[in-house]
Amino acid sequence: MNNEDADLCCCEYYDIFNERNHILACFCNCVDLDEAVDNIVRGRKVSEQNRNGLINTMFDRLRVPWTGGARPVAFDSILPVFILPIMFAIASNSLWWTVFAFSTVAMFLLLIFNFFVRTIPKTKFFLVWTITSTILLYFIFEFVVIPFLEILVEENIALSILIFGFVMCLYLTKLKANQSTIVCQNEREQNLLLKNVEGFYACNICETKVPDKDHHCVWFDCCISRHNQCLFMLSLFFAVTALLYSSNLTLTSVCHPFEFIKTILLPDDCSDVYYQFELGLAFVSAIYSIMVALLLLLVLMQQMLLVSLGIPQKEWHKLPFCSKLCLGLNTPRPYNRGLIKNWLRITCYKQQKYTSINRNV
Amino acid sequence: MLTTCIQLLCLTALFVAVYFPARHARHYEYVAQENVLKEIVLNNHPHFSNKPNCTYEDIVSSSHVIQVSDITKQQNYIAPLFGGEFIPKHCVPLIKTAIVVPYRNRTEQLNIFVNYMHKFLQQQQIHYKLIVVEQNDTLPFNRAKMINIGAQLAMDSNYTCLILHDVDLIPLTKGNLYGCSKRPRHMSSSLDTFRYNLPYLKLFGGAVAILSDQYENVNGMSNSFYGWGGEDDDFYNRLEAKNILPYRFAPEISKYTMLMHKKQPKNDRRFENLKWSLENIYNGLSKLSRKYSVRLENLYTKVIST
Repeated sequence: MNNEDADLCCCEYYDIFNERNHILACFCNCVDLDEAVDNIVRGRKVSEQNRNGLINTMFDRLRVPWTGGARPVAFDSILPVFILPIMFAIASNSLWWTVFAFSTVAMFLLLIFNFFVRTIPKTKFFLVWTITSTILLYFIFEFVVIPFLEILVEENIALSILIFGFVMCLYLTKLKANQSTIVCQNEREQNLLLKNVEGFYACNICETKVPDKDHHCVWFDCCISRHNQCLFMLSLFFAVTALLYSSNLTLTSVCHPFEFIKTILLPDDCSDVYYQFELGLAFVSAIYSIMVALLLLLVLMQQMLLVSLGIPQKEWHKLPFCSKLCLGLNTPRPYNRGLIKNWLRITCYKQQKYTSINRNV
Repeated sequence: MLTTCIQLLCLTALFVAVYFPARHARHYEYVAQENVLKEIVLNNHPHFSNKPNCTYEDIVSSSHVIQVSDITKQQNYIAPLFGGEFIPKHCVPLIKTAIVVPYRNRTEQLNIFVNYMHKFLQQQQIHYKLIVVEQNDTLPFNRAKMINIGAQLAMDSNYTCLILHDVDLIPLTKGNLYGCSKRPRHMSSSLDTFRYNLPYLKLFGGAVAILSDQYENVNGMSNSFYGWGGEDDDFYNRLEAKNILPYRFAPEISKYTMLMHKKQPKNDRRFENLKWSLENIYNGLSKLSRKYSVRLENLYTKVIST
């Protein structure tokens, strides 16, 4: 935009009028705001133009500090950053508050899911939700559960390794998704006939063509295809184990535990957890972890089943209910190459092989 | 280059801060189960009875764990002497222990505790007495002072070994011999509410065994800790100052369960008191007022402080 970009401090930016601005001055120098407030005070109606200008300015000024100038953030993207901590804080008060907060947020998610997917499909809301949950749960564990002095160092390290595994797999999944789409774009430049190449599918959210697309994962904000399906399942596995392990450690710390088998502890009496805020917060985070872990476990099992059957997830959704009950065995499965080959396909994917097929066409 | 160094340094600092050992439950040194009997102090006085001495090898080597669900069951035990004292009949006991239990307002727990402990202790073939010390005023609970009173009473009646025991702790392993060792011993090192881990190395509360002369040597516990917490750490400081370092026995024979109860309000001044811990060493057994009454019940001796 400007050559002076390097001179910007982390809180400065160029606004919609291409002028230098500072995020602390977000309420200053807004003609539309002044006029709107003026009109409201005088009991007059706020004009349409005024309102639009106000909304535009608001979205422009909603920024986070960043090196080389403040970056704008979308309103929908930062919602989880507020929703999740508020939900945890409210839920920590009593059992009824927990039920209330969790059910409200679950309902909100169900409603907003379809809304976002239809109206703003490129939203980062779900990815930010994933990241915020991960960070929040990790912080609660490290700074609320660990100070109870009941977790051993090696248990903490084991959990950290699981979380690190999840984060790395998530990162690599997204990286591979980006790489595969870039490859396709280059191919498209060379070969305009690519539209008809079998195996490539358009993703209307990523707005690119993805080879061997399985489905688009909103929570990871990327397409899952043959390239990264293995990593995707690995990250699900790490997430499920990390969530279950951390919730077990947390619950046995805040509740009364008993020895299940040998050294495995399970909680048996959690009646005292809402007595203290920290205990309640830890308990609520554990409950959230268990619920998320169960959902992810379902997704992981569905993925494993579909890979074994050789049905991509987008095809699975098109199947009639009866066929789903029969695990799709009664319908033609053009992608099926046998149980072992299906698994080898996603685990031993080689880029080289794929481009050679393209050239043959 | 410089920024990389700073980033690395920050990362290392963060790593150390997160995995710092003192933030976690600790691993600790302990006396292995096979060496436990060598550490126990036995009173091998010559005697003129035709009964044999009691033996403790079987008890100490036992690895039996009692189920938590069996605690509240009615236990079959021989009725102790009036005042909760028991002397084994068929052999001469080499261990004479007074179990001092500070107590207030937990009748249900006391009943479970007394019922369970008689059965548990009679299996060990030791001479013991249960002393329950009740605080009878409106001040916050002063655990240490109650223990001092009970310990004073026990020492007056020539008990050489004191076990200072919370009413909500129930020993679960038969190998946990209720006698004193050469050094003071932290007995409840493997407690279920702490996930059978030890929160910190200097923990010296819950159930503790100490010889009477050691207890007298450090002037008992401090009388100035009202409310929950601090008095056990202060007691540890006193022992450390006199170079009588406590130790622990193997966790396999130190399992305890805690009876559930509502948590008590914490003593906000406990850190303040703790800071003056060693200056206050004169405030203990020697400063104890002798204002208490003793009542002999069927199953225990009840001391009521006034």
